[in-house]
Amino acid sequence: MTVPGPSCLRRLATLGLAASLAVLFVPASATAVPAFARKYQTSCQTCHVVFPKLNAFGEAFRLRGYRMPAETEEMVKQKPVSLGAPAYKRLWPKAVWPGELPGNLPLAVNVKFANVNASTLNPDGTVTSIRNDFQFPQEANIFAAGTLGDHVSFFSEMTFAENPDGSVAVELEHARLDIDSPFGREDMFHFRIGKMAPNLAGGFQEMWISTDAPIDSVFSYNPIGVNGGTGLVEDATPAPVALPASVRGIEAYGIVKHRMLWVGGVVNGISPGPNGRFDGNNAKDLYARLDYKFGGMGFDGDTGGKAPPAENWRDNSLRVGAFVYRGNGTNINFASTDVQGDPLNIQDLHFLRVGFYASVYFQDLNVFGAYLHGTDQLQLLDPTSNEGLGLVQADSRAWFVQADYVFYPWLQGSGRYETVTPADPAAAIVKRGVATLNALIRANVKAMVEYQRDLNEGQNHSLNLLVRFAF
Amino acid sequence: MARTSPAAGTITGTIKAPGQTNNADAVVYVEHAAGPFAPSGPIVMDQRSMKFVPHVLTVLLGTTVKFTNSDTVSHNVFSPDNEKYQLGTWPPGVSKDHVFAKCAKFPCVYAQLCMIHPEMEGFVVVLQNPYVATTDATGQFKIEGVPPGTYQVAVWHPKMKGQPKPVTVEAGKPATVDFTLGR
Repeated sequence: MTVPGPSCLRRLATLGLAASLAVLFVPASATAVPAFARKYQTSCQTCHVVFPKLNAFGEAFRLRGYRMPAETEEMVKQKPVSLGAPAYKRLWPKAVWPGELPGNLPLAVNVKFANVNASTLNPDGTVTSIRNDFQFPQEANIFAAGTLGDHVSFFSEMTFAENPDGSVAVELEHARLDIDSPFGREDMFHFRIGKMAPNLAGGFQEMWISTDAPIDSVFSYNPIGVNGGTGLVEDATPAPVALPASVRGIEAYGIVKHRMLWVGGVVNGISPGPNGRFDGNNAKDLYARLDYKFGGMGFDGDTGGKAPPAENWRDNSLRVGAFVYRGNGTNINFASTDVQGDPLNIQDLHFLRVGFYASVYFQDLNVFGAYLHGTDQLQLLDPTSNEGLGLVQADSRAWFVQADYVFYPWLQGSGRYETVTPADPAAAIVKRGVATLNALIRANVKAMVEYQRDLNEGQNHSLNLLVRFAF
Repeated sequence: MARTSPAAGTITGTIKAPGQTNNADAVVYVEHAAGPFAPSGPIVMDQRSMKFVPHVLTVLLGTTVKFTNSDTVSHNVFSPDNEKYQLGTWPPGVSKDHVFAKCAKFPCVYAQLCMIHPEMEGFVVVLQNPYVATTDATGQFKIEGVPPGTYQVAVWHPKMKGQPKPVTVEAGKPATVDFTLGR
């Protein structure tokens, strides 16, 4: 292995910083599904604080497979279409097990407009400035979600993002089928298959937070580099794994005695793979999470007989959790260069992510955060002979803390600090601050002002004005 | 189904089925009354607008039910319950009879299904005596012609359950009993 010189380290650090800036202004995908509002004839605020952030009831609704806690037939205002009388259950396997279709096509649309103002320091020292770029719209999302009878539910999302040249990028962000409580005590076991936001990242994945900016320090760190990762990355192919915000695989989770949430998953790891494969190799990645919630509403909506507060964003409670993700990137090459600038390949033979999550609700305040420690065993390879050039054990750490405060039912403020310490000691520590004000113009229409700043470099910042609406 | 006589009384009341869209289709019946009771002529359960009409039909043991088809499409009738039966498939305007001649323990409930249209479901409830009523959407019921005496009154519902209650009927007087069903 070649040891990098000081000038090369500076270049690596600069590249890492540039990568971090590249993702600084990439918006997140968020979720509000008015198909549920139609089905139950209820307001968005039944489940959301300020969409897409879920309140405790909304979280229970989500975890229960899009069923309300103690749901009864009369709660469902759009009656489902029967695909078989319940008596057919007694005939199985001589008849098809009866199911249901949603009473109406369970579609919902989210649209986001953004007025983007951004300043970016380029590696050559110049500054790129964007003023009032009307990205009207920036993206639109079509959701389909609902239940298919007693124990089956589904969720899918297709995102359309318009490019400056008029072309449209389309992504199937989620497509998931759930089997809910097929056996055992209710909510003890749920199974999901598809492309999904894993419950591994429940509570802080971009779908469920009130800032437009995702938490890149946790989800977009690039662990690949001759001395370990140097910063953040976006849209790399194949995509290295920091902590996955989206997975393709099978997940199981369940709720034990209202208060404990367990999660386990087996998924494709680094992807895409060669020759049209979704998975980069034949090894599967594994993850697990265990959370416990003290006080407030249980994960399944149980209140222990106590009346929940009238302010449905309040949920005085403490939730703590630990999670682990383990992957194997053997035979998946990431093209890179050594310190002389010569090409080499890097394989992330084994990677491990261990993290902790905590969330405290006290009256109108919610403070939550996570710590993530990453370990990567990197194999450096000659790109021509595939001969091993050395092994690098790389350790990184990232953490964030975010505070959300509800000033009024229609007005919420958020502030977040996040940081990544890359494995490469020459790389700059990424520090970033985000401040957001969410104002609900209507329950399904909101305006946002969001300021992001690179706390290492004052030239890197953005101030975006956004409007989101869902119907 | 019940006969009335000047010496008979009535049992009235209300059924509540919490969580259901309404309180209909609960069968309120006297568990056992001194008999015997002879079934009347054939009673019709129709298949109309892709539904079994009535949705719940109460009959005495030994009753012949005539399954008619008032739709413009063919229908089938079968039941997976008790001794099970498959009456076959027949076109509009045709009917088939079935005699409910067995019941080991009252009430005997037969789900009525159509193999061609799996969403269709009805119920035939076979009882020991004619003192029975089926609730409307409000949950109210009235059992007429009940001889004076003390009875256990019970409820059958397609989705919920209720505990039997004792009721004393006096000649010419209404007795009242209410039920709140549970899972």
